[in-house]
Amino acid sequence: MDDLGFGLWVTFVGMGLVFGLLVALWLLLSLALRFEARGPGAADERRATDEARLATGAAVAPAPERIAIRPTDGGPPPEPALVAAIGVAVALHAESRRLQAAPAMRSYWPGSLLFASRWVSAGRTRQSQSWHRRPR
Amino acid sequence: MAAARPGGDHRSVNDKLEELRAKRARALEGGGPERIAQQHARGKLTARERLALLLDDNSFQEMGALATHEETDFGLADQRFPGDGVVAGFGKINGRRVAAFAQDFTVLGGSFSRVQSNKISRIQDLALESGVPLIGLNDSGGARIQEGVASLAAYGEVFVRNVLSSGVIPQISLILGPCAGGAVYSPALTDFVIMARGTSSMFLTGPDVIEAVTGETVTIEELGGSEVHEARSGVAHLVAEDEREALELLKRLLGYLPQNNNEDPPQVVPYDPADRMDEALNSIVPEDESEAYDVRDVIGRVFDRDSFFEIHPAYAPNVVVGFARLDGFSVGIVASQPSVMAGVLDIDASDKVARFIRICDVYNIPIVTFVDCPGFLPGLDQEFQGIIRHGAKIIYAYCEATVPKISIVTRKAMGGAYVAMSSRQMRTDVAFAWPGAQIAVMGADAAVRILYGRLLRSADDPAAAAAEHVRHYREMFFNPYRAADVGQIDEVIEPRETRPRLIRTLELLRTKVQQNPPRKHGLFPV
Repeated sequence: MDDLGFGLWVTFVGMGLVFGLLVALWLLLSLALRFEARGPGAADERRATDEARLATGAAVAPAPERIAIRPTDGGPPPEPALVAAIGVAVALHAESRRLQAAPAMRSYWPGSLLFASRWVSAGRTRQSQSWHRRPR
Repeated sequence: MAAARPGGDHRSVNDKLEELRAKRARALEGGGPERIAQQHARGKLTARERLALLLDDNSFQEMGALATHEETDFGLADQRFPGDGVVAGFGKINGRRVAAFAQDFTVLGGSFSRVQSNKISRIQDLALESGVPLIGLNDSGGARIQEGVASLAAYGEVFVRNVLSSGVIPQISLILGPCAGGAVYSPALTDFVIMARGTSSMFLTGPDVIEAVTGETVTIEELGGSEVHEARSGVAHLVAEDEREALELLKRLLGYLPQNNNEDPPQVVPYDPADRMDEALNSIVPEDESEAYDVRDVIGRVFDRDSFFEIHPAYAPNVVVGFARLDGFSVGIVASQPSVMAGVLDIDASDKVARFIRICDVYNIPIVTFVDCPGFLPGLDQEFQGIIRHGAKIIYAYCEATVPKISIVTRKAMGGAYVAMSSRQMRTDVAFAWPGAQIAVMGADAAVRILYGRLLRSADDPAAAAAEHVRHYREMFFNPYRAADVGQIDEVIEPRETRPRLIRTLELLRTKVQQNPPRKHGLFPV
């Protein structure tokens, strides 16, 4: 009878410990979620995205019809023809860079493995060395 | 201070540095101010000026700048110049590593010597091992006769390296002066040859020898000028108006090529919308099938804006080949040109197409083919010169190529030319057709004559009967749907959809890997 009582006691203590730990874990997770909820919510994210879109829109918004160019040294403003010529030269230079795939215009550095997947790399190796001596 | 050893060099370190600096300064002078002035008077730049224009600022690392020859015969003992007529080394073009050499015409006429060969061979070896393109700026009077057979062997050293590098690293030759005799074979073995109009020439035997042997009188320009190699021989892939433009062309060409056969060409940040559809394409092919159109207009509207870079523009103009960009990626284009000889394939066109396909294949550049071709050019001259063998080159090149291949039949695709020009059996990955495509074994009139000849001869009204049969034949075959039924065409598309279709297809095929059976090498029908 004593053994049965001891057994029940041990079971009670063991189960109590397990359930106690589970309750403690539940409380911990609830606490963590509560703190998490204080961060930026879905509504905040939407607002941030809208703001970013507005900012981007502002960045690409059409330029005002007339741009006033004022030299920083206080001298006379440059001739409009000179400004136009500089603008054309810059545009032509950019076009020339793009045609030559210059670094500023490249998506990735030649020779890098950012684009070539392992599938492609292994495949090209096989293409170059398609013959292998049969192992003995 | 340590005592100098008996019999050793007693000069101080400073003296030795001064000597080195003096030698370097001497090397920079080339053949001297007088020769440089003569070079400029001819409208040509010096070797160092050319390299300065070609390479990024301060990127050139010279090798063998102080090497001189050891010959003493024929007065050569008094004509030693540091570098011995060639400037060689490594540098960068738009940030990309390249190996480059420039022959210096101001030094002994740029004549090819053992020292030149050693220097060029050295950078060829290093370029091949490092997997970087090799650029050669040729301006040489030919072999250095005073060196005898050694000078000829020197050519051989360069040739063998050209061949071993072929298909591994891009090799581009610029001809910026004379290139005569055995010297022509090194550029001929490279991937691309660019000439400068008016100042460059290439020939095996000069006008004097030709006159002595055959009695023909010819000028250097008529014999091997840029016009000859641009339009007739096809030796020159591009011709520039002057040296500066030639160097710019080279830089642009390099932008479409990878560093070596294991890498991809540079991708430019996309600047043209991938889903752009050009309505004008729907009406670009004339309703009247006998009317021509310029396939360059099609190319210009389909590929990224202003990205088309034509190769061999004046040679075999009945086909158009070149590089372009599609969503920033480099692609090769092969296109029939209906505005020249209706876009038929002849011997020169076959050679041009086959070579271009192989270049794209070795450098991992996808191939897009536009087909509007009524067939191979008939005629005695073509048959006698071997149109069969030359036409086979196209088939061989397409079948052998393992890069992504897409074809678009824009109008006519007749007979053997249809099969050869990237049909499904040429291992084409995706075949598109525009609604006006006509895919048939031969033209309607000829087919009706063969199929119904006897019936037509016995008909009451042969003309009316023939017209009826022609109408029936055209209804049957002069559309892309019959070919689509049998799986020869994957999709019939609106012409305006071509760009987005190509971009999406290439997106899928970008990681395509295909292997050919193991062999030493195939027997290309040369």
